[in-house]
Amino acid sequence: MAVVADAGVLYGLVAVGAGLATGLAGIGAGVGEQGIGAAVVGVVAEEPGFLGKGLFLMLLPETLIIFGLAVSLILMFAWTPFSGIVTP
Amino acid sequence: MLRPVKMSRVVVAGSKDVISPVVEKLHELRLLHIVNYNGSQPEFEMGKPIGKAREYSEDLIKLRSVTRYLDIKSKAPEKTYPESQVLSEMDNLLNNVGADVIATFERITAIEAEVKSKQDQINSLKPLAALPLPLEAYYGYDSLATFVGKVASAVDADVAKVSPVNEVYSVSAKNATIVAVFVPAEKAGEVSSVLAEHGFAEMSVPRLEGSVDSAIATLEGSIKSLEGEKAPLQKKLADMRKQYEDIMLATDEYLSVQTHKSEAPLRFAETANAFVIDGWVPSDMYSRLKSELESAAGGKVDVQILDDKEADDLVEHGEDVPTKIENPSLVKPYELITRLFAIPEYKEFDPSLLIFVFFPLMFGMILGDIGYGIMTLLVVLLLKRKFRTEGWQQLINIVMIAGVWAIIFGFFFGEIFGPLGLWGRIMGQLSEAQIELLKGQGLYFGEGVFGSLGRLGPLGIFPMDRLATNAVLLLIGTSIFIGVIHCSVGSILGIKTELNYGEKKHAYFERLPVMLFQIFFALALLGLVMGQMVLVIVGGIVIVVSIVMMVMGPEGPMGLAHVPFYVSNLISYLRLLAIGLASVGLAFAANQLAFYVIMPMLSGGASEPTFIAIIVGVVVLTVVHFINMLLGILSPFMHPLRLHYVEMFTKFYSAHGGGVEYSPFGHVRRFLKA
Repeated sequence: MAVVADAGVLYGLVAVGAGLATGLAGIGAGVGEQGIGAAVVGVVAEEPGFLGKGLFLMLLPETLIIFGLAVSLILMFAWTPFSGIVTP
Repeated sequence: MLRPVKMSRVVVAGSKDVISPVVEKLHELRLLHIVNYNGSQPEFEMGKPIGKAREYSEDLIKLRSVTRYLDIKSKAPEKTYPESQVLSEMDNLLNNVGADVIATFERITAIEAEVKSKQDQINSLKPLAALPLPLEAYYGYDSLATFVGKVASAVDADVAKVSPVNEVYSVSAKNATIVAVFVPAEKAGEVSSVLAEHGFAEMSVPRLEGSVDSAIATLEGSIKSLEGEKAPLQKKLADMRKQYEDIMLATDEYLSVQTHKSEAPLRFAETANAFVIDGWVPSDMYSRLKSELESAAGGKVDVQILDDKEADDLVEHGEDVPTKIENPSLVKPYELITRLFAIPEYKEFDPSLLIFVFFPLMFGMILGDIGYGIMTLLVVLLLKRKFRTEGWQQLINIVMIAGVWAIIFGFFFGEIFGPLGLWGRIMGQLSEAQIELLKGQGLYFGEGVFGSLGRLGPLGIFPMDRLATNAVLLLIGTSIFIGVIHCSVGSILGIKTELNYGEKKHAYFERLPVMLFQIFFALALLGLVMGQMVLVIVGGIVIVVSIVMMVMGPEGPMGLAHVPFYVSNLISYLRLLAIGLASVGLAFAANQLAFYVIMPMLSGGASEPTFIAIIVGVVVLTVVHFINMLLGILSPFMHPLRLHYVEMFTKFYSAHGGGVEYSPFGHVRRFLKA
């Protein structure tokens, strides 16, 4: 296969992609939790017994960031598609 | 342990003559979870309170108002009192002491109000001090209108235009001009509108006499004397609080118990001559309840146990079987986490034991640092002596056990306050040549060693540097593996719970396929990574089978909508690796910053760091590690909690709604001696 790019550049782009994956997922999770968190605080102020279930609801969007992180980890540690097409 | 304690439904019936001793005995035994009579049967009516119920509750209200004035709150008991002492002191406490407290408190409130009003007067007088008028000049006119207040700009000229006869005093203060305008009463309207154009804001002048300064001095004097009166009164209240706190709490307890007992018959069914109590009792306690009640009532009471069929029938008609969760003392703290979510129903499982197994493990795997673990233990031991309520103690015990696991994992990961900071200095490191060799072989899992033992474990992977590529990949696998086990245990409990409720279809076509799907999905992934196509094919087949089972299940094709959720369940366990990695990263950065940047820089490149460099380095290390540890205790706590609540509990818990906790009729003595 023809050499199309410099390894350093590609590795840099992969790193940028990994960063974006985690960062943007984090923003998404934050936006999701913002509304739920505010509502849960309101409910808990009225009824303290709701704390456990409230936490449960609030933590649901946390998974989003883990998805982003999984993508980052794969990119950084387990993704080697360019091995054939870059200069060593 | 995993199941709530077995309960039996009992009926206690007896003659009304013995209702008092029976209530007394029930209260003492603390065994019977009473089912309130709802008045649904025409031949029975609701019971009436016995004894002096009204008097007790009146006394209780009186006492509570006094304790509120004294700011006495419930606390861990330091001293206990026999009932006789409480009884003999109660009258004095409620009447003499109570009246004294109320009078003192009211006087303090009155003083505070008076001080406040005088303070307000001083505040409104202060701006006037600059005007050359005595206070009596501001009021008491029949033909003059007076305007006193702040204006934004000078008003003299404009006032003179509408009212040639006028007297204007003005003085400029810091940020406004204070004016006193005197005009004939008939010009008041026009002058007022002129003043409004200048942004006039009226000030009230207190009706006092003499110069402003002397009036302020008088007011300040009387405030001082009022404060002087208040201080000893407050001290008196504080002294009284100290003196009567314990006895008041004991009296509160005594009165609550008496009210509770005398009002108990409101929950019974009654006829003209007899009473009937329905309730639940732990099955192994039934014989004790029966014999004790019968001896207390001299045989005038009948205690019957309902057989399972009759009990089931009642449950069918909406009666809740109370759940009594019972665990060994080591597992008990974890009931807090269970309770925070919901009390299990009688037929469900109590997950506390599972939390006890998995929670500390997950906490340890995330924090995984000897230094942080020891610090956590120290902090928690300190808190343990400070916070003595049950909830805090449980929380503290949870964190303590978790801290021990963090230390254990710290050995696996070779971390003392971050990797290679202190570890390398204490235990030693591999040589550069060996590290290069391992990297070349693709077997590099870190460079720390266990002292003279070197590196341990298969392929010498311990102590494992979590930041090394191989270690990350291994930990990804481990996290998913833990996830599969965790979720599968949840699914197995889910299947059993559904069978307990007699819902076979839910058990085998809703819960079982989820378990199969998750296990074989993970296996197929493993096959892909390891290049074992057999695993991938077997995994694929079982996944298809499980999806077909889901479609055949109670939800039909809609069940497929949950499939992404089951995948995300497993991926969610990656947080076990991820959060740990984040805190290792910060710790690593702190160590690098201190040891390789700040210290050499301040030492001017000398091989031995100078004294100042060491001090600055230690400060930097302390600050960053402290912040990291705060985060490092919070997130390893919250995230396993989430893994339990979201990933595990949804498989088996509270699908049928929360349960009712077993709360037997009776009272645990705190301030009263038995």
